Amino acid sequence: MSLWVDKYRPTSLGKLDYHKEQANQLKNLVQCGDFPHLLVYGPSGAGKKTRIMCLLRELYGPGVEKLRIEHQSITAPSKKKIEINTIASNYHLEVNASDAGNSDRVVIQELIKTVAQSQQIQSSTQKEFKVVLLTEVDRLTKDAQHALRRTMEKYMSTCRLILCCNSTSKVIAPIRSRCLAVRVPLPSVEEVCSVLTGVCRKEGLLLPGELAKQIAEKSGRNLRKALLMCEACRVQQYPFSSDQDIPETDWEVYLRETANAIVSQQSPQRLLEVRARLYELLTHCIPPEIIIKGLVSELLSNCDGHLKAEVAQLAAYYEHRLQLGSKAIYHLEAFVAKFMAIYKKFMEDGLMA
Amino acid sequence: MDEYDEMYGIEDDFEQQFADELEVMAEMDYESPRHTKVSELRSKKPLSFEDAIASGDIVQSSKSVARHPGSSDAQQITAKPGKSLPHSLDDSEFPEHLLDSDNFQSPKAKRQRLDVAKKLQFTLSNDGDNITPPSSPEDYSRSKSSSVQTVTTSALDISGLAELQESPRRVPTATGHVLRRPPPTGDYISVTDSSGNRVYLAKKEESTVRAVDSRALRDSHYSLGLLSVPIEVLREQVAERRHQQLVEESQRLTEMLNSRVDEEFGEMDGREPEVEEEAAEDEDQDGTASRLWVDRFSPQHYTELLSDDFTNRCLLKWLKLWDTVVFGREKSVKKPKHPQADNRLPLQQKDQQNPRFKTKTQITEEILEAELDQYQRPKYKVALLSGPPGLGKTTLAHVIARHAGYNVVEMNASDDRSAELFQKRIDTATQMKSVLGANEKPNCLVIDEIDGAPTAAINVLLATLNRKESREADTEAAGIGTLKKKKKKTESVLLRPIICICNDLYVPALRQLRQQAFILTFPQTQPSRLVQRLTEISRRQGMKADSGALMALCEKTENDIRSCINTLQFLHGKGQKQLDQRMVQSVTVGLKDQNKGLFSVWQEIFQLPRVKRKRIGEVLSLGAEHGGQSSTAAQRLQHILHLASSSGEHEKLTQGLYDNFLSMKLKDPSLRGVCSALDWLGFSDILNEATLHNQNFSLMRYLPFLPAAFHLLFAATTVPRINYPNSHYEALTRTQHTRNALVAMLAEIPPSIRSRVGMSCLSLDILSMLLEVICPKLRPVNPQLYSVREKQQLVELVDTMLSYNLTYRQDRSPEGQYLYLLEPNVEEVVRFPGLPPRRQLTYQAKQMIAREIELERMRRAEAMLQARNPQRKEEKEKNDPQGGGQKLPIRNHQQRLENIVKQTVVDTRPEVDFFGRAIEPKGKPVPSAAAGDVGKVGMELQIGKAVGNSDVWFRFNEGVSNAVRRNIYIKELL
Repeated sequence: MSLWVDKYRPTSLGKLDYHKEQANQLKNLVQCGDFPHLLVYGPSGAGKKTRIMCLLRELYGPGVEKLRIEHQSITAPSKKKIEINTIASNYHLEVNASDAGNSDRVVIQELIKTVAQSQQIQSSTQKEFKVVLLTEVDRLTKDAQHALRRTMEKYMSTCRLILCCNSTSKVIAPIRSRCLAVRVPLPSVEEVCSVLTGVCRKEGLLLPGELAKQIAEKSGRNLRKALLMCEACRVQQYPFSSDQDIPETDWEVYLRETANAIVSQQSPQRLLEVRARLYELLTHCIPPEIIIKGLVSELLSNCDGHLKAEVAQLAAYYEHRLQLGSKAIYHLEAFVAKFMAIYKKFMEDGLMA
Repeated sequence: MDEYDEMYGIEDDFEQQFADELEVMAEMDYESPRHTKVSELRSKKPLSFEDAIASGDIVQSSKSVARHPGSSDAQQITAKPGKSLPHSLDDSEFPEHLLDSDNFQSPKAKRQRLDVAKKLQFTLSNDGDNITPPSSPEDYSRSKSSSVQTVTTSALDISGLAELQESPRRVPTATGHVLRRPPPTGDYISVTDSSGNRVYLAKKEESTVRAVDSRALRDSHYSLGLLSVPIEVLREQVAERRHQQLVEESQRLTEMLNSRVDEEFGEMDGREPEVEEEAAEDEDQDGTASRLWVDRFSPQHYTELLSDDFTNRCLLKWLKLWDTVVFGREKSVKKPKHPQADNRLPLQQKDQQNPRFKTKTQITEEILEAELDQYQRPKYKVALLSGPPGLGKTTLAHVIARHAGYNVVEMNASDDRSAELFQKRIDTATQMKSVLGANEKPNCLVIDEIDGAPTAAINVLLATLNRKESREADTEAAGIGTLKKKKKKTESVLLRPIICICNDLYVPALRQLRQQAFILTFPQTQPSRLVQRLTEISRRQGMKADSGALMALCEKTENDIRSCINTLQFLHGKGQKQLDQRMVQSVTVGLKDQNKGLFSVWQEIFQLPRVKRKRIGEVLSLGAEHGGQSSTAAQRLQHILHLASSSGEHEKLTQGLYDNFLSMKLKDPSLRGVCSALDWLGFSDILNEATLHNQNFSLMRYLPFLPAAFHLLFAATTVPRINYPNSHYEALTRTQHTRNALVAMLAEIPPSIRSRVGMSCLSLDILSMLLEVICPKLRPVNPQLYSVREKQQLVELVDTMLSYNLTYRQDRSPEGQYLYLLEPNVEEVVRFPGLPPRRQLTYQAKQMIAREIELERMRRAEAMLQARNPQRKEEKEKNDPQGGGQKLPIRNHQQRLENIVKQTVVDTRPEVDFFGRAIEPKGKPVPSAAAGDVGKVGMELQIGKAVGNSDVWFRFNEGVSNAVRRNIYIKELL
């Protein structure tokens, strides 16, 4: 527990720093000893996982914090061996089934069945159900999600599912309807600021309010990122000054430069350069959706008001196609080319007029 | 025919060039008479001679062959039937030759007739005096007649070679039974043909006619009935054409040759083509309509091959390299029978050991020149022929193997080719030979379509090549023996040539074989030669085809011989007797579903088709006029569609288009084309995904439209420069690399953190910041000198790195510098090229941190160990002071010391002591408990307290110096 993110993570629902009302509701939900399947969603860094762990602790007591990593190997019907890591306590099991790639369906079926089919012994002292925590549900294939449907109903008596994802749009409707959806929104800038100052106080540091605000904005209200940035600032320079450089993640800088390259020139050669940069981003495990999102926000800030709607619409169109296809680079480049065409036409029209 | 060489005087060059071929032909001629009934033939010799004389002009012409080289065309033509006359007689008188031999395959039949012809020549030349000097000293060893024949042979052989260009077999040979004058002996029938020419048909004995011949009859009938042009005219044409070709050929040859004088070659070679033709002719007559033309007109002889001369010769030379080992033993056996054969062989060996093919210093030739190995085998034991289908690879292999005197054993894809069967068949083919029947020739294994064979089978083949060599080497080392002896010892040595044939040389399974094989790649067949052959075939089959149409056909099939002939036959079968260009263009049969290389496909997509040559383009341009611009575009579209759908590798194709289209010279200021191209790519990607994911393969038919769209968008007249698409693959490997680094990092992160850290948030948020965090400003001094605050900072740093499973590892850069790198190297995951470099710790700082991390790791590991068994430790601590406690096994040295003490002090009970020592773990508690006090007292008396109870103890270990042992915990050291 060394990084501030890990060190000062709240462990109970009562200690959560923001969305306290939601925390209370969760507490009430659990207090009666039972709860439905949950679908927790929200952007990255909003505190979904923290909230879920607090909930489990409320449910089972401090025993859930004794975690262990288990390596499970599952044999698919096609005799293919799938290795997957799970994190488990005595009361719950956390699986990221999307790690298994295309065989995630088998993982879902096998793992959940084995967990759900085993009855809890000593049901007098323990809850009579275990909890299976599925992360990154939105990255599951459709097959796996369908495999989940029936399992959720069938093993309701022995097992509760908590699904965790960034967006519900990629979770199929039958699953959404079977769960109680809990949205965890990003904290507001003020909330991030208060968390940052709180952490610094505990560290015995003095954080100027100005800097806290800057960090909060720069991190895009992603609390995890904000805390990391804050710590990086601390390492770079202490005592803090309100106008100090806040370190950024490299990929964001790179993406911004790419967007600038697109705006500054529109030609096939430039497109070729942009392609190389896009490849670079993709090879660094930056998801294409994030790339297209970052590009759009940068491009929108650079282009005229008349174009904004069109560009946004284009981005949405190509992101949709991106989801349908499998080779992200085609769609990303198609978006860039289209933007170039529109932008160029707009600029030329402006010159003509 | 003779006049040609007189005119051009090329026979010397020719002999040099084709010495090998000639040799083989000659050898065949010498070997073959064994199989035929020589005596019978000999007895009939006078008859044939007489007949020959009786037939008038024959004798004269044959004489003129020897004496008057400048004889006219007419004489030459008449000489032809003369030569074939003995054949017909032979046929009629010895029908059993043909009928008995189960197949009418050319070689045998040919040789029989050959023999007759030879005898005829022999008698002739006896009275004829020779004006031409013998061409080589070796010839003196032979009879005079043979030297005469040498002259004729060389002349005839060239003509024979010329024939290979068009091989107009029917024209001269069809007249075998037709005489222009009434035959002096026997009955005859006179026939007048449509153009008023009278010919005479020799009547044969009734029985033989019945037995032999419907064939003969049909033959003559055929030639008469179907030829609308008089035979004389045809002959003249043939002679003329031959002349031309001879000139061309000789010019070509002289260019290729360097001057080397070697007169050694077969005497009767020259005869062969003609005689061969007759054999082939017979076969043709056998050929029913049901036979494929491809088979019917397939070359029977080396000189008829259509494939590239150089390739043919290379293969033949390679095959000849085997002669020493394959035929080496046979010659000694056959010495008495065929002295000539013997004569030749030393020379042949000399030839091989000291070859002088310096014309084109090509690698292939060098290979052919290479020394034989210790078993007189060529360096490369396998020849690998490769090339697209329809060039005549299989035919070449068969013809050449037969030509060189082998019995061809073929294996192809139709046979089962599992490894075991493969082994078995290779062994049988290479180590055995048929003992029954006349077919006593050694085997030559032809493995056809080897690119389809499983890798296991090819490995078997390789093993056959290699494994036995090593065994050979053993025997070689064991003792020096004669070749014979060695062969006896290692019978399994590969002693027969193997020819492999494949279409695709670069099939992965062939990788190993490629290195060990003599590789011959087939070039395209020359369209002119192919057209000639096609003309001939169509003429023989009574089709009218102008060369333009045939040229178009060749172009359409890309000079695929088989496809051309098949198309011809198809058209013929449909009742077409006329062939013109339009029909060739319109017919869809000849189109090959060929598989072009990816590069050529890309090239065609990015390049506008050149305007076709006029002759063939006529029809096309006509069509273009009708349809205007759109029709050519439509044609192009169709063409690209066809190309794309036949290429098969759609993924690669698309990738290549994607990688290359932006580098084309785009005249596209509005980027519209680029946009639509990328939309196409996106569409194709979605299509692909849908196809694969839903197994909806009917969608695949839309995939070829992508290349077509690219063609219409980007095709230009300039030659495109295509790069092989590797961007996708590169990206894939690099992504994998990054991913591996992340996985390695995640693997050891403790679960409490692991549960909060996913791979995506690691790469997006955490890592970049984490790398900042772990680079604090550290004073470059010894950590001992740090202030409390700095120490605290260092501890936190180490803690962070440990909990995220990071450390530094020393690495040596290529320049020789030592560096500390993060391990796992997530730095690569985070850093992007072209961005300002991040602050790095100094080498010393990293070194220090790495050391601290190691120490901390050890501390933690020990703490964990201690935490895991705290009870045992306590027990130990309790028991140790007491010394010799009940539960804890007594230490070795104590036991021994005790026993020594007991032995010396308490002498009363030796058995107990003995047993106690023997069964120490079992018997220990009792005796030690019993004798504990006594022993202890004694021991302490004898040795002193210091040794008996202390933690430090000594044990003598022979030869090992680290004798002092003590339990030390890490914490005591740190």
